[in-house]
Amino acid sequence: MGEAEKKVDVKKLLQDARDGVMDAWAKLALNLTSSHEYQRLQGMIVKPALLGLALFRKASESVMSPLLAQMNMPSREEVLGIAQRLTHIEMTLDDLGAALEQLRRSAGPRPQRGPAARDREVKPDNGSSIAAKEA
Amino acid sequence: MAGTQESSPGLLDRFSTMVDNLVKVTTTKAPIGQTPRQAIWTLNKATLYRYTPVKPAEERHRIPLLLIFALMNRSSILDLRPGNSFVEYMLNKGYDLYLLDWGVPGPEDAEMNLGDYALEYIPRAVRKLKAVSGSETFNLLGWCIGAMLSTLYASLRGNVEGLKSLILLTAPLDFTDREQISLARMTEERYFDVDRVLQAFGNMPAGLIDYGAKMLKPVENFVGGYVRLLDNLDNPKVVESWHAMNTWVNDAIPLAGGAYRQFIVDFYRGNKLMNGTLTIRGEKVDLNDLRANLLNVIAVDDHITPPCQSARLLDKVGSLDKTELKVPGGHIGVMAGSGASKGTWPKVESWIAARSD
Repeated sequence: MGEAEKKVDVKKLLQDARDGVMDAWAKLALNLTSSHEYQRLQGMIVKPALLGLALFRKASESVMSPLLAQMNMPSREEVLGIAQRLTHIEMTLDDLGAALEQLRRSAGPRPQRGPAARDREVKPDNGSSIAAKEA
Repeated sequence: MAGTQESSPGLLDRFSTMVDNLVKVTTTKAPIGQTPRQAIWTLNKATLYRYTPVKPAEERHRIPLLLIFALMNRSSILDLRPGNSFVEYMLNKGYDLYLLDWGVPGPEDAEMNLGDYALEYIPRAVRKLKAVSGSETFNLLGWCIGAMLSTLYASLRGNVEGLKSLILLTAPLDFTDREQISLARMTEERYFDVDRVLQAFGNMPAGLIDYGAKMLKPVENFVGGYVRLLDNLDNPKVVESWHAMNTWVNDAIPLAGGAYRQFIVDFYRGNKLMNGTLTIRGEKVDLNDLRANLLNVIAVDDHITPPCQSARLLDKVGSLDKTELKVPGGHIGVMAGSGASKGTWPKVESWIAARSD
């Protein structure tokens, strides 16, 4: 029993020592990483890496764009442009849907809707509509 | 001898459990965000979810509550795991609960800015929420950058769109006291070229954001967490909790380039919101226009958004009903830590309960 207690004490002692070392280390690291010198050094290291990345990106785009055009395929910019336009269309549809819903509400009681319409209203998870369920 | 024979299998079992736990937490993802919910609206990558109510309609609060989390982490932190989930807690208290999840921005979203989130996405999500809930008013809870977006929305649109009460958690709004804000030092113009970063990546990569946040407390984040895990490998409760949090922490998402640039230039460097010089899409953001009931929750041990970043907020807003709540805990621990269910959650809930019927 006494031996077991001793073992626990040794473990605790080691843990306390470790925690003490870690606390000191943490304070030291914090002082270092929050210093202006560290930030300056980090900036100096990151700058050339970012410049290299930007140059690589520009070079790969200048190679890919004519290649894709030759293959009759859209460029990266064109695909991104399409995605952005789709978002705008989505927004417009959302506004139209809301305006229609408001008109329908102001016109009177809502007619019974079929399952297809309910499915359209709500997306993902299990495909069922809370609005429809609770209506 | 007999004693040795009895204790050896126990020790072996314990060791085996520890190894199993270690393998599990380092090689698998914990199931998080499990509370049943349904998507009721989507726009681009954003999705508005409604959590399946657990109380019958007559026992629920009349005014729905919308949750908005930050842009660069998953919103599943609000619903970490059964038994330690703010979402679950609020559902059990009878709230009609909605969550606006921002999703993961793609390269096509690199130009999206804070104005897009605050004035295009939130108002549309609110419109849908009101249509589904049938309520003309709603309450809003924003956390971290979600709190900042909620503040912008509340100041610019809240009064006309039925926002009744606003809860801000660890909101990064005030950048006056720069020496107290480690991230402000890290992103100073002379050390950090935001345009060059975005030129290289388009969006701000999740890894870089994560690195920046972890470097605010490097030893605790890179070593301390694992030491704590090793100390408790035979404690299933601690292991489960650690696993869930680690899964969430390591699942960061990029931040849309335009929003990141604005965050750094207008907020961290310009402190424009507090100075009253911030304009979003040509509209001046005046905090005095924020009239909703306001609860500002400050985490006293927050090293990412220190208390000074929202401590002056109550003096600036136009709300008549405004409260500041200081709670112990860090930036995330304040809402997702083991003590949150007995500390922050009941306090937040009792405040909002009085304003939900």
